[in-house]
Amino acid sequence: MNDAEPVKVIRLSGELEIGRKDEIRAALCAPADGTPVLLDLSGATYADSIALTELLRFCSEAQRERRPVALVIETPQFARLIQYAGLANVFKVFSQAAEALAYLKESSRK
Amino acid sequence: MAGILGTELPNAGRERLQTPLALTLGIMLLVVVLLIGLGLFVRATVSKAFTDAERIRLARTHIAQLQAQQLNEETGVRGYAVLRLPLMLEPYYGGRANLPLYVRRVRADLTDLDLPKVLPVLQDAARTNYRWVHEVAFPIVRSHRRHTALELRGKVYVDRFRADTDAIDLALAARTAAVNARAQEAVLWVGSFAVAAVVVVILAALVFTVQQYRLNIRLERERAASEEQRRRAVAARAAYETEKRIADILQDAFAERLLPSLPAVSFSATYVPATEQAKIGGDWYDALQLSEDRVLVAIGDVTGHGIDAVVAMNKVRQLLISYALLDATPDGVLERVNFDLVRSKSPLITAICGVIDTRTHEFLYACAGHPPPVLVEPRGRAKLLDFGSLPLGVAVKGGYQTSRVQLAAGAMLVLYTDGLIEYSRDLAQGEAALLEAAEAAAETPAPDPAAQIRDRIFRDRKVADDVAILTIRFLESSAGANLSRRIA
Repeated sequence: MNDAEPVKVIRLSGELEIGRKDEIRAALCAPADGTPVLLDLSGATYADSIALTELLRFCSEAQRERRPVALVIETPQFARLIQYAGLANVFKVFSQAAEALAYLKESSRK
Repeated sequence: MAGILGTELPNAGRERLQTPLALTLGIMLLVVVLLIGLGLFVRATVSKAFTDAERIRLARTHIAQLQAQQLNEETGVRGYAVLRLPLMLEPYYGGRANLPLYVRRVRADLTDLDLPKVLPVLQDAARTNYRWVHEVAFPIVRSHRRHTALELRGKVYVDRFRADTDAIDLALAARTAAVNARAQEAVLWVGSFAVAAVVVVILAALVFTVQQYRLNIRLERERAASEEQRRRAVAARAAYETEKRIADILQDAFAERLLPSLPAVSFSATYVPATEQAKIGGDWYDALQLSEDRVLVAIGDVTGHGIDAVVAMNKVRQLLISYALLDATPDGVLERVNFDLVRSKSPLITAICGVIDTRTHEFLYACAGHPPPVLVEPRGRAKLLDFGSLPLGVAVKGGYQTSRVQLAAGAMLVLYTDGLIEYSRDLAQGEAALLEAAEAAAETPAPDPAAQIRDRIFRDRKVADDVAILTIRFLESSAGANLSRRIA
């Protein structure tokens, strides 16, 4: 993938909870053409079970469509939540956006 | 809320009604005031026109009188010139005596009627008469013969006098026409204004009526909408109450959690409902003896609240128990349960499925997106065990793995749901508090460590979400055996 090839960046931050369900659902909208997705959660600090459900559904759908997805998570408490939810074992999680981009680049070459 | 709406709407409506009403009344008041003002103006104008006309008529009578006096003078002198009879001079003397009086009256009339331009004409007439008297009448009266030249000059003076007085009369006639025209104009103006005012008032009344009609329609619509809103709110409230009641009943029915009573392992558990009734959720725990040595321990949490969550919880409990009775490994149980849940589009569920071997003190468990179990070593520190994998109901292949933990006598396991550590939204803080509470509970020989952990953590906090806690303590039978061996 060169620089011209697109990566869809989805950014969610703050406390992700039931009150923001519609916003989260609208944001987690993957492009139809299989473009790799960088899910930037570096500003997120908390997710309740409803928000986690949305994240999980988005990631597992991407996996089924063989669409490369990389998560960027910085805050330790959010990283812990993601570990609890099992996302870290199944999906690619990075602490820096550059690493995530490199991964997406590598996976689209394959 | 409906009551407040019910009183608010008419008030707002009344305010909106007042604006066009005030506008219409204002226009009508203005029109009436203008009409009164114009009426007074017309009355004054017409009245002045009548007064002026009367004064002009009087002035014209005075002019006629003035001409008559002059005619008397001239007639007298002319008769005397022909007949020489003193009797013929009577009209002449009468005219001479009265003429100055009428000159004064006409002068006063002209001044009153504000016709200063005509005064020099009157002056000229008076002067002409004076010259006629002195230059023509006196010589003829004193002489005893005819003076044709004098008579001819007299005619010139007389003509001039007539012309002057006729000019004054004409000016007065013109003034009459002007006064009449002004009065007519005033009357016409008022007539036109009255017609316009009637049109404006009719238009204002029309606009007001239309406005009021539209407002009534709008008010009626709003009243209907607010009634509909109130009805919906009542219906929603009733639906909520019903759902809450059903959820409470189901929760109570499913909360019948009998724990196994075994010589080597003791169980304790607690369920803390959320402070908010609406948050009644799908947290559960189970401990069930599968065979002589094997006990199933499970804990889980269904995403969401209400009836759906309670029903899903019951379903997953039955599935777990059923598959645990068939399958030996916890990961296999979770895979099967997950498969069923994904197919039935169940809500997301986090769970731990574990099997305890009471003989070997082995703990096998698999975790599906659930917070990790806590292990308190005998007289040691508490720690979090391995965890991971996706929650149930997300993907067909959950990728669950079984972990194996060898437990020493005196060790204690704590399984719990996320409400126990997520109350502050800081997991690190929640985990630390849990580990400390678990250590404290393990140190005391109290029979109910689950309640102790609950009390320690929620000593000074509200329970925002449901919490379930299940503890499994491996009794120190071996230590007891050691002790008895030592005693022996």
